[in-house]
Amino acid sequence: MTLVGRIAYRTSMFVLAIAAIIGAWELYKLIGPQGGGKFFGVSILPRANNNAMPHVWDMFSRFGRPEVRGSDRKIWVVVLSGAWFSLRLSFVGFLLGSTVGVGLAVLMTRFRIVQRGLLPYLVMSQTVPLIALAPLVVSWGGKLEIGSFVWPRWLSASILGMFLAFFPIAVGTLRGLASAPSAAMELMESYAASWKQTLFKLRFPAAVPFMVPAFKLAASGAVVGVVVAEISTGLKGGIGRLIIEYAREATGDPAKVFTAVFGAAALGLTMSGIVAVSDLLLMRNRPKETTT
Amino acid sequence: MSAVQVVGTSKIFNEGSAKQVDAIVEVNLTVESGEFVSLIGPSGCGKSTLLRLIANLLEPTQGVVSVNGKTAAQARLDQDYGMAFQQAGLFDWRTVGKNIELPLELKGWDKTKRAKRAEEMLHLVKLPEFAEMYPWQLSGGMQQRIAIARALAAHPPLLLMDEPFGALDEMTREYMQGELLRICAETSTTVVFVTHSIPEAVYLSNRVVVMSPRPGRIVEIIDVNLGAKRTEDTRAAEGFFRSITAVREALRGTHADHVAATAIRGVEDR
Ligand SMILES: Nc1ncnc2c1ncn2[C@@H]1O[C@H](COP(=O)(O)OP(=O)(O)OP(=O)(O)O)[C@@H](O)[C@H]1O
Ligand SMILES: [Mg+2]
Repeated sequence: MTLVGRIAYRTSMFVLAIAAIIGAWELYKLIGPQGGGKFFGVSILPRANNNAMPHVWDMFSRFGRPEVRGSDRKIWVVVLSGAWFSLRLSFVGFLLGSTVGVGLAVLMTRFRIVQRGLLPYLVMSQTVPLIALAPLVVSWGGKLEIGSFVWPRWLSASILGMFLAFFPIAVGTLRGLASAPSAAMELMESYAASWKQTLFKLRFPAAVPFMVPAFKLAASGAVVGVVVAEISTGLKGGIGRLIIEYAREATGDPAKVFTAVFGAAALGLTMSGIVAVSDLLLMRNRPKETTT
Repeated sequence: MSAVQVVGTSKIFNEGSAKQVDAIVEVNLTVESGEFVSLIGPSGCGKSTLLRLIANLLEPTQGVVSVNGKTAAQARLDQDYGMAFQQAGLFDWRTVGKNIELPLELKGWDKTKRAKRAEEMLHLVKLPEFAEMYPWQLSGGMQQRIAIARALAAHPPLLLMDEPFGALDEMTREYMQGELLRICAETSTTVVFVTHSIPEAVYLSNRVVVMSPRPGRIVEIIDVNLGAKRTEDTRAAEGFFRSITAVREALRGTHADHVAATAIRGVEDR
């Protein structure tokens, strides 16, 4: 399939999936229990009433109305600018995470001993709850002074994005760099190629199929990290802050919080979209077994 | 000056451990410039090991290997040889042209010089219009020709080949043998060639080195007197069959002397 064909295919699958989700949501509202489903006193089914699950069209029409009564700022403008703010932070986190992740993978490939010493700690680092880490990073950042460099508050959120992004990249790249076939390694050796030449002419190209899915995971990880950091540190300006603010108004204006949730989803999709496009570009000249 | 000189060379893997393998023991072999020498023998007799020692991809446990009058290590650094394996081993992410340019790139050649040489090589292997294609768009025989072009791109005086036509069908194989002889004559390249096929060894070679396993060693070196110019008629010549019989006899020797009956199955009789 051509590049354009594949993009069209993926887009139409995406639209279909969205339609299916909307259908499922409205179907549940039709047949689900209004007061929620309880099983031995534990509620396991969400309430299908308009307060807990507003109609999809109510959510969408909410976008067109002002953020607060009497204001002339439409809510879609507020959500969009919040998502844009968080997107930039996520992107910074993603870039930092890529640098750290790829750097660690190269280091671990070069020195076996680093790999043996470091890898268990990398795995362990991912078990630290993000919520606990967020205030720590903010307070460390506040104390940091390097010359005239003042740590901006948003950078803490990006750092947390990086924290979730670097891990899949480090692990995926490490596997990818090791995936070069031994015959190819031997060929490079017969050319008396340096380690660096082998890295850039063989190992990295061979790693691309492993790195692409890792970067996709990292992109969504960066968004999660940033949004959670915004929520738990109360950083103003981003979509995370909007989610908590709007959630407080859920009783009076149930559709409002969903506009922010959609904003967060759009943010995640934009990030993975960027990676998906680079995937198509990077893999366009590789052998194709599947035609999706 | 000899192209390759292997003197009293042994290679023992995992020496001293329970898994010790005497891959080759006390091997002496000299290959003169311009010669075509084949290594043949049952599976596991150390053909690939000997080739890797010449290529300096392995260090000998004992003995000396020299290439072009230098140590094997220096010859590798100077890229005095090119190499081709059973699997063409082209890089999927590079076009055919860029694959051929790889060794030149590593040597630091500039772009225009590289492209010019790649084009020459593509003409040499008779695939001039394939430069912009990707390897996975080519047939196995074409890929192998590209691998040969890559091995010869830097015009090394020596070509080392490990069963390069082993994965090809019989028709393609015979065609490739003819092509290889033509290419090596045009570029006056010395060749050390590992094969499992007796007719292939005889058709291509000035000398056929017969090896036996456990421990790997040379049992006989057979001169093939079929003249310098070999054509399709050579395959029907009486001398061709005489040499095939001689090689087969020598291989029987490897069987009768030391080798368990299973080991000989590694050699094909076609
Ligand atoms: N890296 C290695 N470590 C340990 N043993 C090895 C290694 N490489 C080869 N050997 C052993 O050395 C012996 C010779 O191997 P080699 O690959 O040279 O045989 P060969 O003649 O090329 O066989 P084939 O015809 O099957 O390719 C074998 O017994 C093999 O198991
Ligand atoms: Mg072998």
